[in-house]
Amino acid sequence: MMYENLKDELLSTVDSGLKYARTVDNEAEFELYLFYQNRAVVNITQGVVEASEGIVKGNAVRVASQNSVSFASSSGISIDRIRRSVSEAMASLRSVSIKDERFSGFCTPEKPGREGAFTREILDLSKEELIDYAGCVVKEGQEFDRRIKTVGSECSAEWGGFAVGNTQGLQQSSRSALNSCEVYCIAVNGEERRASYEFDTTRERLINTGGLGKKAAQRAISLLGAKKLSATTVLPTIWEPRAASAYILFSLGQSVRGEHVVEGRSPIADKVGEEIASPKLTITDNGQNPSGINTEAIDAEGHPQKKTTIIDRGELSQFLFDTYYARIHNSESTGNCSRRARATTSYETSPFIRPKNLEVKPGSKNLDSLIATTDEQAILIADAPLGLRHSNVSTGEFSAVAQNVFLVENGDKKWPLQPVSVSGNFYIGFKQLLNIGGDLTKTVFAVETPTLVFDGFSVVG
Amino acid sequence: MLEKLEKCVESGEKMGARFVEARFDDLILRTLQRVNDVWKDIVLRSRIGIGVVCYHGGASGYSFTPSDDERELEKAVNRAVKVAKASAKVASLKLDFDRRPPVKSQESDTFPLKIHPRSEDLSYKTDLVNRAIDTAREFGIGISNIRGMYGELYGRKLFTNSEGSVIDWNFEVIELGCRVTSKTESGDLVNATGEAGGTMGLELFKTKGSTPEDIGKEAGSCAKEQLKAKACPAGRFRTLIENELAGVLAHESFGHLSEGDSVVVGESPLAGKIGTRLGTDQATIVDYGTPNISEYGGLWVPYDDQGTRSNETTILDKGMLKHYLHNRGTAHYLKQEPTGNCRAVNFGFIPIPRMTNTYFAPGELTKEEALELLNTGVYAIQASGGQVGEDGSFLFKATRGYWVQNGRIKEPIREVSLSGNILNLLSRVEGATKDLRISAGYFGGCGKNGQFLLPCGLGGPELVIDEVVFGGSASEE
Repeated sequence: MMYENLKDELLSTVDSGLKYARTVDNEAEFELYLFYQNRAVVNITQGVVEASEGIVKGNAVRVASQNSVSFASSSGISIDRIRRSVSEAMASLRSVSIKDERFSGFCTPEKPGREGAFTREILDLSKEELIDYAGCVVKEGQEFDRRIKTVGSECSAEWGGFAVGNTQGLQQSSRSALNSCEVYCIAVNGEERRASYEFDTTRERLINTGGLGKKAAQRAISLLGAKKLSATTVLPTIWEPRAASAYILFSLGQSVRGEHVVEGRSPIADKVGEEIASPKLTITDNGQNPSGINTEAIDAEGHPQKKTTIIDRGELSQFLFDTYYARIHNSESTGNCSRRARATTSYETSPFIRPKNLEVKPGSKNLDSLIATTDEQAILIADAPLGLRHSNVSTGEFSAVAQNVFLVENGDKKWPLQPVSVSGNFYIGFKQLLNIGGDLTKTVFAVETPTLVFDGFSVVG
Repeated sequence: MLEKLEKCVESGEKMGARFVEARFDDLILRTLQRVNDVWKDIVLRSRIGIGVVCYHGGASGYSFTPSDDERELEKAVNRAVKVAKASAKVASLKLDFDRRPPVKSQESDTFPLKIHPRSEDLSYKTDLVNRAIDTAREFGIGISNIRGMYGELYGRKLFTNSEGSVIDWNFEVIELGCRVTSKTESGDLVNATGEAGGTMGLELFKTKGSTPEDIGKEAGSCAKEQLKAKACPAGRFRTLIENELAGVLAHESFGHLSEGDSVVVGESPLAGKIGTRLGTDQATIVDYGTPNISEYGGLWVPYDDQGTRSNETTILDKGMLKHYLHNRGTAHYLKQEPTGNCRAVNFGFIPIPRMTNTYFAPGELTKEEALELLNTGVYAIQASGGQVGEDGSFLFKATRGYWVQNGRIKEPIREVSLSGNILNLLSRVEGATKDLRISAGYFGGCGKNGQFLLPCGLGGPELVIDEVVFGGSASEE
C-alpha cells in the first residue's frame, strides 16, 4: 500500500469486513479496527549491527449483542483473517452469557479531527540512511571522551495508519509517519559506571542526529565522580523535564484515566472542581498538537481526538474518556481511546484510555534560576528515576531510584550523587509544588513539560 | 508450513545470506478480565506469522509477515537479506557462529498438560474468575475495587534453519489472578493480590494453594490486613525477601546484566568478570528452560527461537560468575557454549538474548531460622514491579511486608520499595531457605529493546540480605 491511498484501501477493507460481519449476525453490533504499519529499525551498539524491516498488519473485532461484548484479533488484514476474528468473537459471545449492563453501543460518527504534521521525507528514508545515522551517532559518542566505553544507537522510521468502522455507521481513518534516533552512552571510570541517553523523535521533519552522541556522552561524563548523599531526610527536589515528564505521566496521567475514575481506583475521582495542586499548575492533554507523536485525526474507536484541560491553575477540571466510560460517567468522550502505541501487535490490545500528548504550562525561570533560588540543600533529578512507572495509582505513593542526580547547595549545582532513593506521594507533591520552570521540553513519554520543583519528598542515599 | 519455511531458508541462501533461520508462530492468547461485577475483557487473539533472520558478514537482518502467501514470504526473505547485507558493511564487531549438527525436536518436547485450556469451554474459565472474586469479597472488607483475571497462551512454534534443524513444539502458559483494592477509614487505598500460573493445565486450579478460592482468599485477606498496615520507614535495613521477590532480583537486576548481547559490547558491568567473586557462598543464580515444573512451578521453554535446546545454566555459582546467557553469536564471540536463551516476544521481532526461568538456588535454612537470622528488619513479600539500570542499580516493589523484631513477625507494613546495586547486594546475601518456588504466568512478562511482555519464570528460596535501602517516609533531620 502507498501512503497516499492507505486510508482508502483500509476503509474499503473495513467496509467489506463489516458487510461480512452483518451476514453472520445482522442484529449484533460490530466494530472493526485495521492496522497497517511499515517499520524499519536499525540498532548499532559498539559495532554490532542488528536491523529489521517489515510490515505490521492486523485486525481487531468487537461484537456486542444484548449487552454482552467480546473482542478478537488476528494478525493480517486479509478478509480471511478478518473473518477469523469475527468468528472467534462471535464464538466467545455465544458460549457464555456475560452481561455488561453498562455497555450502550459503540462510538457514534462525528467529524474527525486533524492528522498531525507530516513530511514525505520519512517515507523515503532508506535502511542505508538509518544505518548511516546510527553509525554517525555512535562514532560521535565514542570519540567524545576515552572514558565513554559503550555507545548504542537505535534509529527507526515508520509510517502507516489505521481505520475503524462500526455498525453505527462510523467509518474513519488516520495516518502518521514518525522517525526517531535514540542514543545511550556509558561512561566508566574504575568501578564507577554512569549512563545517559539523548533522543530525537519527530513526525514533522527528518531526525536531526548531529550532536546527539556528543550530548549523551557529555551527560554521562558529568555524572562521574559521584559522591554519597549519606543522609535519610526530607529535601526539596528539582525535577528536570525528563524526570518531571515521568512524574506527570505516572501520576495524573494515570489517575485522570476514565477507567480508574469509574472503577474506584483513582483517588481524585470525586475531586472535579477542587484544588488538587498548586495554582501554578495547568496541564492539558492535546490530541491535536500537530507535532505531538500521538496526534491522529481520530482515536482508536473513531472518535475525533481533542484538546482537554485536565488541571486548570491547580483545579481539577476534566478526566479523560473513551465512549464506554464517558457514558457511564455521564460525560462526553475526550477522544482518548487507545490501543498499544507503536508496538508490533498494537491491534491485539482491546481499547483502553490513555493520554495522547500531555502538556504542562511553563513558568518563566530557567533551570539555573530555579537552582539559584533554592535555599540550603536540594536534590536535582536530571532523568526519569527507576521504578516510577511501578507506582500505585490508587494510593499515589511512589518510591524511585534517581540515578542521574546532583546535589544543590545554597543556590549552586554541586556534584553528582550516587543513586538516591526518592519517595513520597504524588498527589501531596502536586500541592507542594514550589516552582515551575520555563524550559518546556518534549520527552520520550509524549509529555511536554518544564522543570518542576517539589517540596517534602523523602530522600535516602 | 514446514515446506514454506524451508523454502524461505533456501531463498535466503540463494540471495546470498550465509545462514538463514525461519520460524512460524501460530498462537492463541485468551484474556478474561472481570472488574467488580462487569466483564471488562473477553478477548481472544490469534497471533500467526512468520519471521526470517538472515546472517551475512557478521551482521543480521530480520523481516516478518503475518501472511503465509508465497509471494509475501519471498518479499520478507528479500528484505531480510538486503537488511543483513547493508548492516554487514558497517558492522565492526562481527557475531558469526559455527555450524552445528541439525536439531530435531520430539513430541515429548511439548509439556504434557492434563487438562489443556482448549479442552474446556469459556464458561469453565469465567467460573474460575467468578469463584476467585466471590471468595475475595468474603474475606476482604472496605473493598472499593476488585479485579479477577484469567489468561491462557498456547500454540505451535515451528523452526528451521540452514543446518536443517526442524523444531516443532507447543508453547503453553496459563494464569488466574485476583487483585483487591480496599479503602482505609482515612480514605487511603491499599492493594493486595493472589495468583497462580505457569506451564500447567487447568488442573493447576484444582490443586491446594492454587484453587480460585485460595487465590481469592489471599487477595481479600491480605487487603484486609493492609488496612491496618503502616508505611515502611525509609532507610537501610536487614531484610528477608520471599521467593517471588528473590526471583525478581535474580531476573531484573542480575539476569539482564548476564545477557550476552550486553556483555559483548561492554554495556554490562559483568563484562570480563567470569571467574570473579561477586557474591557470598549463599548466592547461586541459575537460568533453566525446562525446570521440574511439577515440583517448583515455572515456564517450559525447551528450545529458543534460534533453534538451540534450552540449558540449565549456572550464571553465578556460590558467588562466582560462571556463565552468560547467549544467542549463538554472543556465545561464539565470548567462547562459551550457546545456552538456549535467544527469544523473541512475537514473530514481529528478531530473537535476542533473554531469560527463561531465572532463580536463586535454595539453601539450608528453615523459615524460622531465616527469621532468626534476620533478627530485626523488613520481611518483604510479593513483587509488583521492578526496574534496573545499566550500572546494576535496581528498584523493586514488594506488594506488602512485615516489620520483624528479634526474629518475630510484628506489624504489617504497606507496599514497600527496595533499592540498591545488585553487585553490592550479592555480597550481603547471608542465607537462603530450603524451599525453591518458581513463578510464571500469562500476565506481565519481561521487557527489553522494545520487546515487551515476554513470558519468563522467576523465583528462588527466601533470602536474608543485610543493608537494603527501603524507600518510605523519612523524618526531617
